[in-house]
Amino acid sequence: MRSNTRSLTTASLLAGIALLSAPGFALAGAGEPGHGHAAAIGEPAKASAAKRVVQVELGDNYYKPESLSVKAGETVRFVLKNKGDFLHEFNIGTATMHAAHQKEMAMMVEHGMLTPTGINTSMSGMDHSKMGGMAEMKHDDPNSVLVGPGETKELTWKFTKETALEFACNMPGHYESGMVGKVAFTR
Amino acid sequence: MNTASRGLSRRDALKLAVMAGLAGVVTAYPERRTFAATQQTLDLAVERSRLTIDGATSRGIAIGGSIPAPTLRWREGQEVVVHVTNKLDEPTSIHWHGLLLLGVMDGAPGFNGYQPIMPGETYTYRFQLRQAGTYWYHSHSAGQEQEGMYGAIVIEPAERDPVRADRDYVVVLSDHTPERPDAVLRKLKLGSVSEGYYNRGKRTLFDFFQDVDRDGFDATVRNRLDWGDMLMEPTDLADVTGYSFLVNGKGPQDNWTALFNPGERVRLRIINASAMTIFDLRIPGLPMTVVAADGQNVVPVKVDEFRFGVGETYDVLVLPQEDKAFTLFAEPIDRTGFARATLAPREGMSGDVPARRPRTVLTMADMGMDHGSMAGMDHGSMAGMDHGSMKGMDHSAMMGMGTGSMPGMDHSAMPGMNHGAMAGMDQGMAKASDRALGWADAATPPGTKALSYADLKAFSKTRDLREPAQEIVVRLTGMMSRYIWTLNGAKFDQGTPIRVAYGDRIRIRFVNETMMAHPMHLHGMFVELENGQKDRLPRKHVVLVPPGQTTSVQLTADEPGEWPFHCHLLYHMASGMMTRFIVERRTASL
Repeated sequence: MRSNTRSLTTASLLAGIALLSAPGFALAGAGEPGHGHAAAIGEPAKASAAKRVVQVELGDNYYKPESLSVKAGETVRFVLKNKGDFLHEFNIGTATMHAAHQKEMAMMVEHGMLTPTGINTSMSGMDHSKMGGMAEMKHDDPNSVLVGPGETKELTWKFTKETALEFACNMPGHYESGMVGKVAFTR
Repeated sequence: MNTASRGLSRRDALKLAVMAGLAGVVTAYPERRTFAATQQTLDLAVERSRLTIDGATSRGIAIGGSIPAPTLRWREGQEVVVHVTNKLDEPTSIHWHGLLLLGVMDGAPGFNGYQPIMPGETYTYRFQLRQAGTYWYHSHSAGQEQEGMYGAIVIEPAERDPVRADRDYVVVLSDHTPERPDAVLRKLKLGSVSEGYYNRGKRTLFDFFQDVDRDGFDATVRNRLDWGDMLMEPTDLADVTGYSFLVNGKGPQDNWTALFNPGERVRLRIINASAMTIFDLRIPGLPMTVVAADGQNVVPVKVDEFRFGVGETYDVLVLPQEDKAFTLFAEPIDRTGFARATLAPREGMSGDVPARRPRTVLTMADMGMDHGSMAGMDHGSMAGMDHGSMKGMDHSAMMGMGTGSMPGMDHSAMPGMNHGAMAGMDQGMAKASDRALGWADAATPPGTKALSYADLKAFSKTRDLREPAQEIVVRLTGMMSRYIWTLNGAKFDQGTPIRVAYGDRIRIRFVNETMMAHPMHLHGMFVELENGQKDRLPRKHVVLVPPGQTTSVQLTADEPGEWPFHCHLLYHMASGMMTRFIVERRTASL
């Protein structure tokens, strides 16, 4: 349930500064009845728990490979290398979650927290008391990693059960351009 | 394709055969006849033809048997050979709009040693594709482009396309008139002297009252006098009306349809191949992610609509999720009609056709002559109005009058009225709330986004960051009242060519001194729009310069030759709005 709680925090804070369809609903599985979300998309895991390592190249604006194949119950350590000029995300979720997250990311870019090429660290030194609802706005969902140009980062994820998942970059325009891939479950 | 009959040498034939073997997969695109990538050599005949739009048939000129001409699908790096045969009884030409190539292959008669293709003759174009993206081709002779000589070019990149799509459609917008282009131009010249033949939206007395209501009398009169001095009419957004607006050669009733399955990613390569029409384009219910402008990739930007200059192209992605039809809707900026097409899961479906938007009224700001704030005007000076002189006018009938109800009015009966006597008209006059004000006002609804040039950011970094060695001012000039359009005040045959040194970085500053927007097109090289994007200036082959505004671009003069440089509004070019842009090697002066 950890992912659920933390994303909801982000959402409620964001809701304070703009009209936003709360991603909390998406996480609760709007349009996907019968799925408790956090369980359905899986959960973060320790790198040591993974038996399999998958190298993923992030480029402008694509992933290589373009799709993934996993087994239910499998824990995978993703090594994410950004070979492009722009900031990219590797986010595991449903299409509905990605759609909601795209709105959050667009807002973070609009407010200067994220730039097309990186995370604006200077914002962390700002006087939070004057930022209203944005005070705690962070990009810290456990199902997502931001990878700057030239960086390599990791995400270890346990795919608990079979469900319709995508890995996607929700930086503005990237998902639309095709920077998204399907996670296929094999038996 | 019978290459032997073309008299190619054996070596050429072998070369072609080898290249054919290396070429990409043959793909059938559903929208219409296409030459696939494996075909290296094309035969295109130019001939008189007829086209039927919404049931009405009129004459036209086809390239390769259709209007629009067949989409040419090529691959970056390929050498292409195109034999163009002129089956007309007048000279013709084909220009490859946006392609980087040797001057003589550019296809503009009178430039770079290229001669028009005479009746019965065949000209062989041969060039290597040095770029990828969406471009187009069209006649560069007389008014033939207006008659149907235009088609799309799609060049697949040699390397990975930064965009992925499940479906890929070409959307060619155009304007069609059953009149012959030379007759249109004659009427423009004739009509402009007297009444504005095509300008149905000429400002009326009623407009004057509305302006008085909004701005006060003095401001309105001063504004009017200014317009009078400039011999222009402030609603001259477009100068030719009576057009049908087409999508891939189909009228609004024909309803050209592109199919998708819900959830698919659809790429639309949208080309404005009009002779004279600037559009506002949108797909209600489907945001568009712009991924390329003028064939060049840009950092993706999501918009709800964009303004579309003649000659420009935009590639957009849409992700329709629902099992329903969407309407692609493009209104000319003078709102005299619309182009319409449909994106749908199945043939035969249609979406809602949106309500037409109001036509904007140009203001003095569009002339670069904003007299400053109208606030603080002395309303007191309006006292003493003589209501007596107004009698006979039925104010009540005018109150709720929509702009749409005006066309039937007889304006000619009004000029004799004494405006002076109207000082301080009834302030209760109907508000012009449905009117848009100023050229840039597309009546975009609040909360939706229209693309701005400032949003365009090149996908790859600007290569040449030198400060320009030379700055060239190009004034866009003209006299609407006599239908004379010029650059720096001179018609094409009277002007001085622009000369730059090969290899130099150049800045061009367009100063639009007219009240129309001009899509300025340079052949042979891309210009980089100075839109504030620092090291990612977007590369364009057409730059739409708004009325009264200044727009600047940079370019690296790395293509030697004598290139056409002109307004892409066909009748503006035809009336003289063109010059020669000469890139010359320095060796001569050494």
